[in-house]
Amino acid sequence: MAEAEDRLPSASEDAKKEALTRQELADIVDLSLWAGQLLMQNGAESLRIEETIHRLGTALGCDWMDIFVSSNDIAVTTISGLDFRTKIRRVVGVGVNMTIVSGVSRLSRRVERGELNRIQVRAELERIALAEHHYPRWLTILMVGLACAAFSRLFGGDWAIFGVTFVAASLALIVRQELTKRHFNAVLITVATAFVAGLLASSAIWVSASPQTALAASVLLLVPGVPLITAAEDIITGHLVVGLARGFFGTLITLAIALGLLLAVNLTGVGGL
Amino acid sequence: MSLVWLLLHDALWSAVAALGFAILFNVPIRTLPACALGGALGHITRTFCIELGLSITSATFFGATVVGFFGHFAARRWQAPSTVFTVPGVIPMVPGSLAFQTMMDLIRISETGPGVDSAMLASAAINALRTGLILGGLAVGVIAPRLIFYRRQSIF
Repeated sequence: MAEAEDRLPSASEDAKKEALTRQELADIVDLSLWAGQLLMQNGAESLRIEETIHRLGTALGCDWMDIFVSSNDIAVTTISGLDFRTKIRRVVGVGVNMTIVSGVSRLSRRVERGELNRIQVRAELERIALAEHHYPRWLTILMVGLACAAFSRLFGGDWAIFGVTFVAASLALIVRQELTKRHFNAVLITVATAFVAGLLASSAIWVSASPQTALAASVLLLVPGVPLITAAEDIITGHLVVGLARGFFGTLITLAIALGLLLAVNLTGVGGL
Repeated sequence: MSLVWLLLHDALWSAVAALGFAILFNVPIRTLPACALGGALGHITRTFCIELGLSITSATFFGATVVGFFGHFAARRWQAPSTVFTVPGVIPMVPGSLAFQTMMDLIRISETGPGVDSAMLASAAINALRTGLILGGLAVGVIAPRLIFYRRQSIF
């Protein structure tokens, strides 16, 4: 990893590369944007997007790549000799899929080692983009419910709270998955999911003296951990605008969770949050 | 003895939490055990620091630094980008309930109107500040290995 990332194209190395045709430059722009789009849509931070695109493009024969990562789009310029081509792609829709991030990252390393040409890179990107999730849906629901229940233990909840949180969080994830499938707005989905989680977790009032723990833990599956962490990473690495945009999105989602919970608590009358 | 028990309790549940989020984030199957391990390592570091008397902010920073370095070495060992290990690893430390508390404070202030007392305002400000500082600490900790090892990267 270290030796690969230390490798910067020097003047002498540039001279060894053959000049690419306009057609080839256009092809590399396309592949780079596709790779960048996959990274951006699946939770990679800006520095990783830039590094990976740069590595991919220079390994495919470009002298240099200029990459502009914004909050909703990526622009790439491929440069070879005196010729260059630029293209912008709009990137919408955010989720987290680490297998795709990992796949694109490893692909760029393989290209760097000279294992793949442009045609093979296109086929690989297609394979990465279309791959099925590793984990069946029931397992994801079960494990996310368990994760939120684990949080209730970390917050000091007892076993009754654990059970209520597990059920509330699992059902909340089903609600979120169903709404996401129907392409509702992300903020709206969060409000609705938090509302459902809040209603279900309120039933803890019958089994425990501190139902607040169940309420707080059962919405943790919604906490925008990835936007907030990548926001802070982006800001530290100098990608201020992307970082601020992501941070604001994370704040908005947090507000949406609070709103959904508040609606539920007002209905059920579980106080003290 | 009770400290050992506390740390074990902590390690178990934070590993389960990290594992759940790792599955939600669809990490490659071969990296799953490492993701759970990272979550446990980070969280017990944080709990240990809090037991030593550190503030939650600096304790979180140390916990995230452990996750960051763990991710750095796990990336080589399991051939995947460090994000795969660090993101599920720090999720148990994301100040979710603090951020949520801040939002609740803000809503409460707006509902109370002009008669709002200073305790309510202070609570909102303190919670917001803590949330921001903890998040900052998390991020700096996670990218600490990057900041230390790959300084030449900043050419972009």
